[in-house]
Parts: sequence; C-alpha cells; structure tokens
Amino acid sequence: MSLLAVSNLTKRYRRGGKTVTAVDDVSFHIEPGETLALAGPSGSGKSTIARLALRLIEPDAGGIEFEGDDFLALSGSPLRARRARLQMVFQDPLAAFNPRATVARVLDDPLRIHGIASRSERPRRIAALLERVGLSAGLAPRAIHEISGGQRQRVAIARAIATKPSLIVLDEALSALDVSVRGQILDLLLDLQRQERIAYLFISHDLGVVRTIAHRVVLLDGGRIAESGDARAIIDAPQSAVGKALVAATPRLNRSIGP
Amino acid sequence: MTALASIRELTVTYRRDGREVAALEKIRLDIMAGERLAIIGESGSGKSTLALAIAGLLPGSATVGGGVDWFLPSFDAKAPPSVLPDISPSRGEIGSSTGVSSPAAMVIGEIRDDGAISPLEGEMSGRTEGGLIERRAQKSASGRSRTPLLGRDIGFVFQDPSASLDPVMTIGKQIAEVARTHLGLTWPQAYTKAKTLLERVRLPDPDSALRAFPHQLSGGQKQRVAIAAAIAAGPKLLIADEATSALDTIVQAEIVALIRRLVAEDGMTLLFISHDIALAAELADRIAVFRHGKLVELGTTARIIGAPSQAYTRVLLDAHIGLDAAPLLNRSRLDA
Repeated sequence: MSLLAVSNLTKRYRRGGKTVTAVDDVSFHIEPGETLALAGPSGSGKSTIARLALRLIEPDAGGIEFEGDDFLALSGSPLRARRARLQMVFQDPLAAFNPRATVARVLDDPLRIHGIASRSERPRRIAALLERVGLSAGLAPRAIHEISGGQRQRVAIARAIATKPSLIVLDEALSALDVSVRGQILDLLLDLQRQERIAYLFISHDLGVVRTIAHRVVLLDGGRIAESGDARAIIDAPQSAVGKALVAATPRLNRSIGP
Repeated sequence: MTALASIRELTVTYRRDGREVAALEKIRLDIMAGERLAIIGESGSGKSTLALAIAGLLPGSATVGGGVDWFLPSFDAKAPPSVLPDISPSRGEIGSSTGVSSPAAMVIGEIRDDGAISPLEGEMSGRTEGGLIERRAQKSASGRSRTPLLGRDIGFVFQDPSASLDPVMTIGKQIAEVARTHLGLTWPQAYTKAKTLLERVRLPDPDSALRAFPHQLSGGQKQRVAIAAAIAAGPKLLIADEATSALDTIVQAEIVALIRRLVAEDGMTLLFISHDIALAAELADRIAVFRHGKLVELGTTARIIGAPSQAYTRVLLDAHIGLDAAPLLNRSRLDA
C-alpha cells in the first residue's frame, strides 16, 4: 500500500472569465521513505499539486489516499490528527512564520496543538528538536527574524518533524539558500529520511538537485504529467519535450570551458 | 583591452543597530570595455552593493570610501553606441592630475537640488527606488572623461521586473520615456524606438505589447521589457543584478541567451551579478568571486572553474549540484 496515492487529480481556476486547468488528470504515488520529485517550469502545476495534497485547497476532481484513508473525506478532528502526519516546508521560512515569534514559540505550537507533549515537558522536547536539526538549544529564545536563512530553514524542518510525520512536502525548500548552506540542509533531510523513514514530496525546478536526492521524478508541463519514472534515468535521457528543454536549460559548469 | 571603469579601494559601510557594517572593503577591480564580467557570491558577499555603487544607486545611509574612475566619452563626442572611444587615460594620469577627488570619480550620495522638477532624468525608465539618492552626471573639467548617467551610460536590470516596472504605465511608454529622456527624441520617435526594442528582445506581437500593462505579461516577458528599457538609450555598461534568479530554468536560459546576444550586437560591457557560479560560467569572460565584502579571486572563466587558486572558490564549485553530480540518496530504501 502506498503512503500517498493521488488519482486523476484535477484543479481548475477561473481567471478573467476564462477557465485555466492548473492540474489536469494527474496520478502518482509515494512509498514510505521515498523521495518523489515534482519538476517543471513555472505554471506547470507543481505547487498546486502540493497544495492539493496538503488539502490547503480542494480539487475539482480526483482522489487522494493517505496512509490508507480517503484523505478528501476526512474532516474535523480526524483531519487535524492526520495532518500531523503530513507536514510541509516552504521556500521562504520568514514568510511562513510569524516574524515576531521566537524559535521556541514556533516549535511549541505543533507540540501543543497536536497534544504531543505536556507544558512541562515541552522545553526539553524543543531543545531535542533543535539538536536533531543541528542547531544549538540556546537558539530557542531568539526571534525568527534575527537568525540566518539557513538556521530558519532548519527551524522549519524541526517544526515539520515535531509531529512525527510520515510525509513532508518540500516546496522549493532549498531554492532560496546559499549553495554552501544548501548542501548541509540536503544532508539533514537525507539523514532524517534514513533515520525516521520519512517520505518527501520534493518540488523543485532544479534538475541537478532532483537528480541527486529523488528516487523518482514526475515531470509536469501545463498541468499534465509529461513523463515520470526513475529520477536519474529520466534526467539523463529525457523523452518529453519539457524534459529535454529543462535539461538543456540547466547551467553546466564545464560547458563554458569547452570540450 | 582598455578599462571602461576602474574601481579603486572602494569601501561601502552601512550603519546597522548603531554599528558600522562594511558591505565592501577596499575593492580594486577594472571593468574592461566590451567584456562580460560576472560577480559571484553568496548572501552578504557585497555583490549587489557593488552593482549599486557602480550604478550610483547606493542609499543615502551608505558611507563610501574610494570610488570608481570612468573612461567614458564626453556627451559631445557623439560616438555611436557600439564604438568605444579611444579616450582612456591611465589611472595614473587621472590620479596625478586631480588628486583624490578626481572630477571623473563618481560622486555618491550627492543630493539633487532640482530633483522635484524632473523625476525622469538620470534613472532607468523613470522609476524611483525608495530612499535612493540620485547621482548627478558631471562633465569633468578636462572634458576627456565624465561620470556616467544611469539610464544613458548604464542600463540596470533588477531581479524582480514586477518591482522595476510601473504597474499603471504601458510597456511602450516605459521604454519610450527612456529613449526620449536620454536621446532627446520626440514621443513619436521614442515610440518607434520602443517598438524596435520590443522586437529586439523578441517579445511576441510588439504592436499590442506597446499598449499592454506589466500585469498582462509573464515574468519572463516582463524581464524582456525591463531589458528593453535598460538598453533603450544605448548604454555602454549593462548591469544585470540577479536578473534571472526569480525565473524558472527554461526562462532563465532564454533571458541569458537574450542578454548575450544584445551585449554582442551593441558592443556593451556586461556586469552579471549572480549567486550561481555555473550560470555565470556559461556567460562570462571573467569571474570575480566575492565573500564577506572582499574580492576573493578574479580570473578568466576557464581559470576560475578549472584551476581556482582560493579555497573558497573551490567550496563554491564543489557545492554546485550539476546534472553530473553523484547521487546522495540511499538507493536501497525500498528494500528496507
């Protein structure tokens, strides 16, 4: 049984009297502990699919099965409980957090809301979460806007793993980071996956990163799946027009200095 | 090759929380006429501060030491934009004849006294960035060299075209006003020029694009318009500050190809500011690596990529994840 199974998902938007199909009959699945990448140009539907999978928006058609249940049929407290198992990390953690909150507050919220730890136990849990993502527990009283971008993304990951999820949606989660920081965050994500068997839905337009960390990739174009399969096989020899265009457009270090 | 601009001992400091923070420290760098020079660095490296300092766009709160010597023709020279003038005195000549405050050196932070009347002069497509103080172009006493005028001598393309284009002005007018302001054209002439520019940046259907507003265009198309406005007055120097960073990979490659073609066609000098060393390597003749406000290493692209001399450059190269990078994941997870 798949961890997440998305079938025939469709989402349409009305824009200026016209109907735009942002996601058009998309199906895929993610296994426990697996990284599935969604890649494609702007407007290909990858972020819409992420929001649908998280039930931040509702589809016009199609089904989502998560941990064996019909995810779209859940509501109220069963939905809230299941949401603890499905977390998210976005590109810009400063936009995702209340900027005036402290690191401790950001991590306290999920522990409290999902009833994971008692009030007296929470400071210890927060310290443990910070250490798990490679930060000092001494960072807890600092304001979110005071810490660096890399530290903030680690805090976002700490918040995501606080509720012991089985799946984390990473929507361009590495795109805004400096390259030297990006490698460290990649290592952290891979370590978490190995230790906790977390699956990732990894959304990115960077095929180099997708190729190094994803098991499988779904290439999207205009809301439809252009091709999908083993990430290295697809990126090393794309068959679809959008796959070929994405590979050709990816900057290469050595192209400039010739053969 | 002769220098278009010579950056000498440029130091820029900002006041932050009552402390002086150096964004750039004693930068010495020659920008050669006609070259494509990439400035590479991570956040806080000072790369954008350098771009703003060269364009004279630093905020008034910045303190500047050193400066930039320019080797530009005087306005009366009427040199065609594609021909670079042979008026390049050595830095020594300027330094010895004029001392510290060379008339050709850039005057940063000078407040315009006529700014309220003429908001268009001296900046790209008439847009004002909040808190910025314009620099007035001055002819040097000798007449051989002068400070550059933004929009006329320097075209600037920012990362976010939505922020640099006026949302309530047509595309055509935004480009035409640059040509009108700097080239002394009438409005009809300037609109004709704008249409030619939209064709040059390969915007589909230039006729209707002239009457379109920015929100009707995609991100890549908006960046094409911003580039058209930046080159409208035939600048010698085009500065692209993370101009493709907000675009997806395919559109980024298209915009890089466009910049490459325009720079070649017009004989412009390109300053390409980026965090992406691989992207810079595809476009630049030379690469300057910045870190913490200092110039770490400068060399030809082949030398920087193939044989970097500094450890930090090596770190940046190793951190690049290309299509040939070794996979990091544990492929056996499905057997677990």
